[in-house]
Amino acid sequence: MSDIKTICSIIAFAPLVGAILAGMGGRIIGRAGAHTVTIAGVGISCLLSIRLLMDLLATTATGEPVVYNETLYTWLESGGLTLQIGFLIDQLSATMMVVVTFVSLMVHVYTIGYMRDDPGYQRFFSYISLFTFAMLMLVMANNFVQLFFGWEGVGLVSYLLIGFWYTRDSAIFANMKAFLVNRVGDMGMVLGIAAVAYLFGSLDFATVFADPAAHSETTFQILNGEPWSAITVTCVLLFIGAMAKSAQFPLHVWLPDSMEGPTPISALIHAATMVTAGIFLLARTSPLFELSETALSFVMIIGAITALFMGFLGIVQNDIKRVIAYSTLSQLGYMTVALGASAYAAGIFHLTTHAFFKALLFLAAGSVIIAMHHEQDMRKMGGLRKYMPITYLTCLIGTLALVGFPGLAGFFSKDAIIEAVKYSELPGADFAYLAVLAGVFVTSLYSFRLLFLVFHGKERMDDHTREHLHETPLVVTGPLMALAVPSVVIGALAIEPMLFGNFFGDSIFVLPGHDVLQGLQSHWHGALQFALHGFTQIPFLLMLAGLAAAWVLYRQKPELPGLFTDKLAWLHRVLLNKYYLDDFNQTVFAGGLRGIGQFFWRIGDVALIDGLLVNGSARAVGAFAGVLRHIQTGYLYHYAFAMMIGLMVLMSMLWFVIQ
Amino acid sequence: MLTEKILFYVFAAILIFAASMVVTVRHSVRAALFLVLAFFTAAGLWLMLHAEFLAIVLVLVYVGAVMVLFLFVVMSVDLDQGRLREGFGRHMPVGLLVAGVVIAEMVSILSIDQLAIVAPESATVAVNNVEAVGQLLYRQYIYPVEIASVILLVGIIAAISMTLRGRRQSRYIAPAEQLAANKRDRLRVVDLREPASTDSSAESKGDDN
Amino acid sequence: MEFSTQELIPVLPEITLLVMASVVLLVDLFAPGKERVGTYTTSMLALALTALVSVYSYQGEQLVFAGHHQSDGLSLVLKLAMVIAVAVVFLYGRGYLAVRGLLNGEFFTLSLFGLLGMMIIASAGSLLSLYLGLETLSLSLYALVGFDRRSVASSEAAIKYFILGALASGVLLYGISILYGVTGTIQTAAMQMEIQAVLTSAGQYQMLLGLGVVFVVVGAAFKLGAAPFHMWLPDIYEGSPTAVTNYLGTASKLAAIALVLRLFADVLQPLIHQWQPMLMLLAVASLAVGNIIAIAQTNFKRMLAYSAISHMGFVLLGVLVGTGAGYSASLFYMITYAITGLAAFGLIMLLSRLGFEAENLVDFKGLAQRSPLMGLVVLLVMFSMAGVPPTVGFFAKLAVIDAVIEQGFAWIAVVAVLFSVIGAFYYLRVVKLVFFDGVEDPSPLVSSWDERFVLVLNGLFVLVLGLFPGKLLEICNQVFTGL
Repeated sequence: MSDIKTICSIIAFAPLVGAILAGMGGRIIGRAGAHTVTIAGVGISCLLSIRLLMDLLATTATGEPVVYNETLYTWLESGGLTLQIGFLIDQLSATMMVVVTFVSLMVHVYTIGYMRDDPGYQRFFSYISLFTFAMLMLVMANNFVQLFFGWEGVGLVSYLLIGFWYTRDSAIFANMKAFLVNRVGDMGMVLGIAAVAYLFGSLDFATVFADPAAHSETTFQILNGEPWSAITVTCVLLFIGAMAKSAQFPLHVWLPDSMEGPTPISALIHAATMVTAGIFLLARTSPLFELSETALSFVMIIGAITALFMGFLGIVQNDIKRVIAYSTLSQLGYMTVALGASAYAAGIFHLTTHAFFKALLFLAAGSVIIAMHHEQDMRKMGGLRKYMPITYLTCLIGTLALVGFPGLAGFFSKDAIIEAVKYSELPGADFAYLAVLAGVFVTSLYSFRLLFLVFHGKERMDDHTREHLHETPLVVTGPLMALAVPSVVIGALAIEPMLFGNFFGDSIFVLPGHDVLQGLQSHWHGALQFALHGFTQIPFLLMLAGLAAAWVLYRQKPELPGLFTDKLAWLHRVLLNKYYLDDFNQTVFAGGLRGIGQFFWRIGDVALIDGLLVNGSARAVGAFAGVLRHIQTGYLYHYAFAMMIGLMVLMSMLWFVIQ
Repeated sequence: MLTEKILFYVFAAILIFAASMVVTVRHSVRAALFLVLAFFTAAGLWLMLHAEFLAIVLVLVYVGAVMVLFLFVVMSVDLDQGRLREGFGRHMPVGLLVAGVVIAEMVSILSIDQLAIVAPESATVAVNNVEAVGQLLYRQYIYPVEIASVILLVGIIAAISMTLRGRRQSRYIAPAEQLAANKRDRLRVVDLREPASTDSSAESKGDDN
Repeated sequence: MEFSTQELIPVLPEITLLVMASVVLLVDLFAPGKERVGTYTTSMLALALTALVSVYSYQGEQLVFAGHHQSDGLSLVLKLAMVIAVAVVFLYGRGYLAVRGLLNGEFFTLSLFGLLGMMIIASAGSLLSLYLGLETLSLSLYALVGFDRRSVASSEAAIKYFILGALASGVLLYGISILYGVTGTIQTAAMQMEIQAVLTSAGQYQMLLGLGVVFVVVGAAFKLGAAPFHMWLPDIYEGSPTAVTNYLGTASKLAAIALVLRLFADVLQPLIHQWQPMLMLLAVASLAVGNIIAIAQTNFKRMLAYSAISHMGFVLLGVLVGTGAGYSASLFYMITYAITGLAAFGLIMLLSRLGFEAENLVDFKGLAQRSPLMGLVVLLVMFSMAGVPPTVGFFAKLAVIDAVIEQGFAWIAVVAVLFSVIGAFYYLRVVKLVFFDGVEDPSPLVSSWDERFVLVLNGLFVLVLGLFPGKLLEICNQVFTGL
């Protein structure tokens, strides 16, 4: 492990090198060159990440986990605050690194097929490699500033990629929206980091987390002198950052629109990795969150709202990608609930399994979209099963994993969360428990709805499309198959070490009183038992109910949904309009701010600042400069005389100084 | 003791007088000559301190070499005295004011510190003057001396680069070329005995064709 | 005092450079030709050798030659920076001078001897060697400024520089002699102790020391180009051949900071209460004069001259704080300023061609369309000078302001920032000309690939140092940790 510094540097910077080569030299190295260098870069990162995780697991098994925490480069020292670039490799970050690089690698390969005819081929590869670099910087950071760098980096690339087809108005609108909403979150994030710096005098994780309890009694005076618990304020601020990035209610509005980007991006950024950055942040800062039950409660309730209500929206969507997007929102809600219940390990566990099966679902959707010649409306699909067997099968696996069919990845992680919430005693835990239980039914309903509408039933596409329907090439199906494997097995394999073993070691901190997983452990008899037991539990029954409902509504009686929409027109309208949140934001925030901006622009900026202060002072300075330049006569004796006057002034100063 | 004091004040008075004449006198040749006088009196002061070597060097080097060279330059350059004095009267009051303030400040500053000015001790006779200077220059101050020599080298280079116009532009005599000159290269014998009209007409015809 | 050859080791860089400069002088005799390939190569070799010797002969802090020569971290850092700066000056200047028929061997030899002077200043252990080093540098500079004999402006600049420089040197020497008279020693360390002794003992001679300080401040301020001793700067910048301006504006500034730090951080440190208010006045005056008059300039070189004056204001701010943090901030500022300045003057030379000097602001119009890469370099250089992150100029200003505030001079920091804002105007005007104005002179840019390569590298370095300023900041800090 002596060369671990080198390994870490290679992991982080190999994708960056790939991105630079593909981005700057894209025209020189050509399409094949672009995908070769980027895939090579990410591939190297992936292999080394796996090796790092293996090493770490091996040392964890011996009871002495070797956590690597070292500074690579001191960026700046200012006023007692040291800003550094460094790596913290513990179980948490190593897990994230493997997930990120693996999914990224799959998406890279998949992109070869998906973007084959796109003129921005090299640009696209450059972006996704750059994204991988930024994401790695985020998860490998050993301090808040570097984490924030990665945080903004992934946000930037996300912005660029949502607007990848920048000639589409809707894409530009979507990326602007994503950018602005994330700014709201970043404000919280920056304030949170500032609060950490203020409280602890350091931004280094190790220093901050060494003894956060020492500050548990500290208070901030914010408004009208009311004391606020400093830790709670810090945690809530950090969580606001996480809410935007991980699309939690009410800052989730950007994620559905982000589906304007190419599908590989939806899989990589808006399902598997970037949106989980918020979850990662909370797990990383668990030593702080553990000290504030208020913050944890807040986190749990927000997560529960997201988990349930975003699921409802998935039911009425007709765009195949949007359905999966709302499903992502809902699943992110699950993870957040887990964090709120102090079941960080369960949250990260769900993050991991979700990354695999959600990437799989997105890529499968992309495969369908390619076959359908970039048609995304599910009402124009149907019966694709016989044309695209591999896509169908893998999509089925992904769906089963998502709805939590016992034995598959999603089952273990989701059930663990539901159980964990049951044991939580925080305020709001009851609500959260009901929400996540109901969420199972909803998830099952929209997931099977998608499956039935796309792959079963009547073929509703036009004849021209039908003639060209065929299975997608290997570069597309390959990653699907590769992702299907972990979607099935990762849950069974990882649940025991991750939840009940000592997998995370010291990287996650849970107060003994909050340890809900402890309660779960008392009923733990192995993965197989857990799966079998699952068949008798409420979630399974709810899932079956969802499946049955979908079966009836979209297979047996396809006219029923229409009837519902007619009868419950108001509910349908509310759901179609996404609870009117977008309209609210558009009119109140965007419109209001524009109005205020207009006002200040006219009165304050144009008249006062531009007219009086800026132009006025500029004119004054300019006139003054015009006068002053005449002192520079060009005559030697004037210059010498000026020096003598200067000497005289200094000498007079001496007189006064010494007196 | 008294004669020494008298001598000192005489030399010092002449030195100050000569120095102020250097900067105020109108004619630059006279200024240079006053400078020579200043050097002589300074050498006299050094002699009184038994610094014979320095005194002699001052006279030999500065008066004998530097000032003579300087006089050559001053005499061979045509300086328009009138133009130099242009605006002198106009700038005089301001200049005097500043100078007055500076002098006043310096004097008042110096008067605050009760300067315990001790007359410099004359070198003890036991030490050889030249040897003492040599010891200092080539032992303790060898590094500055070397730097000073570099400065002289730079001065030479700078002077040459400022004045040398390059060989091609100036007229000069190359003895080698002169010696190598041949009668045939320089001299063409033209036969004037026969009329050259036939030749020249033939040439002009050739040109026309 | 017994002499041992061990004493020669710390002086090896100077010896190497002196020998090599003399070799260049000889090589130039036998290697004529318009391109001066031999002279150029030997000069570059001389610089490379000097840099190598500087690094490898360094043995920690040492005082040799009866304390006249001092080698420490400061001298090492400065020497390396100076050597690199001169190398870049040669690189940019060669093509520019060759086209104009100005590429004499003297350009190289005088620059090298000037560099020797700078190095002597950087490792001066006594005020005597400090002064002599300064004279070596100045003498070379006078000749360099006027070495375009066909140009009236160049000769005029040389005469002005010579006379004013001699005046300043005289003032400085007068100050040094007063200090010598009071303390009875010329070596810096001993002099500092003597001054301390004077201060503790009932304060006799304090005023006399103050008088010495005034003269020394004036001399140093002149060399630095701080207002009101700045008047020579714009004329000399404009009049000299741009290659020489580059030398004057970057490498010799490093010598100036060496001079200032050796004087104020070493010898005069105990007298900080005397020189601090003086430097404060000079700094504020420089910031004001430089930034405001620069706005009215139409000539790019003149604008850079005023900009240099304002930057010297910042450097003085760091020095006047009188703490290790302040000195190191000033050092960092000057080094990064030199790097930025090299690129700025390099731009002028690369954009110029025979019979045309790209020294007016209008010549930069639409440059980004003629050459996007050059446009980028202009952008980076101007941003750095204005102090816009993420270029290095931002961190330089930040470090200085940080040091100033730490010592409780908040109002000075406010003044500095205010004038920086005013200064941003004329820097951004250049950026506007380059990127948003139409091309007025569509003639193609002629420059050799190596010059263009180095220029782009130089420009990017400004950015990279801004992204990763840590290492250089750390080095600058280490130099003054002893304080």
